[in-house]
Amino acid sequence: MTLKEKLKIYYNLLLIRNVEEAIEDRYHPADKMRCPIHMCIGQELIPSVLNLFMKTKDSLWSHHRSHGYYMCKGGSVKEMISEFYGKKTGTNGGLAGSQELSYPKTNFYSGTILCGAFSMAVGDAFSKKYKNQKNVAIAIIGDGGMEEGIVFESLNIASMMKLPIIFICENNLYSVHTNLKERQNSKTIYQKIKSFGIKSSIYKGNDPDRLHDILKKITSDVRENNKPHFLEVSTYRFSGHVGPEGDDQYGYRPKKEIAYWKKRDPLKYYEKKLDKKIKNFHIINKKYKKKINKIINDAFNFAEKSQFPEKDYLKFNYQNTYSKIVKKFYSKNIQLNVSQKDHKPKPY
Amino acid sequence: MKKRELTFGEAINEAQIQAMSLDKSVFITGLQPEKTGNVFGTCKNILKKFGKKRIFPSPTSEQGVTALAAGAAINGLRPIIIHERVDFMAYTFDQLANWISLWSFKSAGKSKVPLVIRACIGKNWGQGPQHGKTLHSSFSYLPGIIIAMPSSPSEAKGLLLSSVMSNDPIIFLEYRALYNTKEHVDEKPYFIKLGEPRKRLSGKDITVVAAGASVLTALQGAEQLKEKKVSIDLFDLRTINQIKMDKIFNSIKKTKKVLVLEDGWSKGGYASEVITMITEKGIKLDRKPKRICWPDSHLPMSRPLEADFYFTAKDVYEACLNLLSKK
Ligand SMILES: Cc1ncc(C[n+]2csc(CCOP(=O)(O)OP(=O)(O)O)c2C)c(N)n1
Repeated sequence: MTLKEKLKIYYNLLLIRNVEEAIEDRYHPADKMRCPIHMCIGQELIPSVLNLFMKTKDSLWSHHRSHGYYMCKGGSVKEMISEFYGKKTGTNGGLAGSQELSYPKTNFYSGTILCGAFSMAVGDAFSKKYKNQKNVAIAIIGDGGMEEGIVFESLNIASMMKLPIIFICENNLYSVHTNLKERQNSKTIYQKIKSFGIKSSIYKGNDPDRLHDILKKITSDVRENNKPHFLEVSTYRFSGHVGPEGDDQYGYRPKKEIAYWKKRDPLKYYEKKLDKKIKNFHIINKKYKKKINKIINDAFNFAEKSQFPEKDYLKFNYQNTYSKIVKKFYSKNIQLNVSQKDHKPKPY
Repeated sequence: MKKRELTFGEAINEAQIQAMSLDKSVFITGLQPEKTGNVFGTCKNILKKFGKKRIFPSPTSEQGVTALAAGAAINGLRPIIIHERVDFMAYTFDQLANWISLWSFKSAGKSKVPLVIRACIGKNWGQGPQHGKTLHSSFSYLPGIIIAMPSSPSEAKGLLLSSVMSNDPIIFLEYRALYNTKEHVDEKPYFIKLGEPRKRLSGKDITVVAAGASVLTALQGAEQLKEKKVSIDLFDLRTINQIKMDKIFNSIKKTKKVLVLEDGWSKGGYASEVITMITEKGIKLDRKPKRICWPDSHLPMSRPLEADFYFTAKDVYEACLNLLSKK
């Protein structure tokens, strides 16, 4: 691993953490971001490392806890914050909010109904193989999502069709406020996936360098061999399930457990590690923090200044257009001899 | 020279073959479309012509396959997925309601899902409560998906070609009662613009609106009405949730009488939608509007009860005469 790569991962971790904290800070009392938001504080590890192995033409399909993946798939922070503000300059024109962030420019998609994005990623991977594109699809899911039936249909399809897709399950132990123990009769998820004939593995630590090596192997394997891989990663959400407010007052997770995971905060861990390894890291770190701070302030200013969308949103429901082939077809076959007098085909 | 005639099934077959020749991003999947029976013959010879990359059997996983098609469509392919019975689509309501229908909207038009979901509605014989149902109204409620219901072979061909080439997601519903109907179908590919009803018959006394199999019933009813010197304006909606009403309104202004036929349950169906639009438009009718739909019940399998369940040409005939009799 090069120094540059390590610093990139650190930067990603810091970017996600700071952006998420800024959203939490500014959500209330301003109340200008009027949409439910699933924060990913504590879970920055995977997107931060994955970033190094994704090409723009690879696609990423995220679950609802999507901001980290969005940013690490090249999503603009400005457009994301603008989306939360419901502004026209947002990723989705202000029509969708945090729960359905999408950014076709970098092939990033997400949605909040569990597992829809996961299963559509399989179709995306199919199309990549069909078109002989040398790209992969990446599908992100939580441990709760892994309990939905469609997941197993999609895993079977990906395996049968030998599709270039990487499934990543973020096991943060909870589905809303219910522990895995109350939901699944096994401690790990990756074991079950093996029976689909899919290579499946687990990573339980918080070390970006270790995850880097694992993802490097998986991504090149999937790219070369056109076969799916499933990776489970243990992680922990520091923020509440939804919204900027914490939810630990409900007592659904033991204090000891929270303390255990906070000690393993991937950002703090890596900051310390790099500080020991890299001369002058504190200077770089300061520079990063300043840079990110500017990104955040610019993004919020941009969102504040942007306009709300116009009221003609109805038009977005339908494309109302056809493939270019239709026009081309008529331009070549002007002499169409159709006898049904009531539906003479006409070019459109 | 006698003009070439095709059955409804053959016309769909031809449309698919032509769509696949025009565009290599079109592929077909579903439960063994390329094997035994070829879905009422609609997929005949496609494997031979295009190979197993373009037509292949899916696992028995309607949800997974619908999601597969959606993901593939978003990345630029034009999938056709087939459900031999519309009932199976109930499994896929998540993909329709939560993903496909809102895809274009939620991306502010920046992303599209051009896919076709073909499904067969059981209406013919003995299908009983499970396989006799139709779900078209449950789908047509959603913005963002177009529901096409072809009424004849030539309609099926043009509508299917347009559906495949449309940049919107289309649910294409085929009544089994239509598969053996036959008429002249032009050999070359042609496209029918979605959303424009077709005036199927021109008459003067009553405006009749129908879609899918009920167009056939209306045509048969119109034939019988000739003996009473009654003629109807018959409109085939073609797509049931994207309806340009102007021609229908004009017809009703002339006839002042309207009958809507719907091969499905009445609640929340297109019949109630069409009548509401007429009422809201404030068009003066000289008789109460009338619709004929299925009884508010599941379909009995037992033959005489089934025969009673579906409306026929005779019902259309009588309803029209009733509309014409004194108030
Ligand atoms: C089909 C469906 N059912 C229920 C929900 C409500 N819901 C939203 S997030 C969530 C928890 C999912 O847990 P997990 O997949 O582990 O992700 P996490 O929130 O822990 O990141 C639930 C149940 C949903 N969005 N979709």
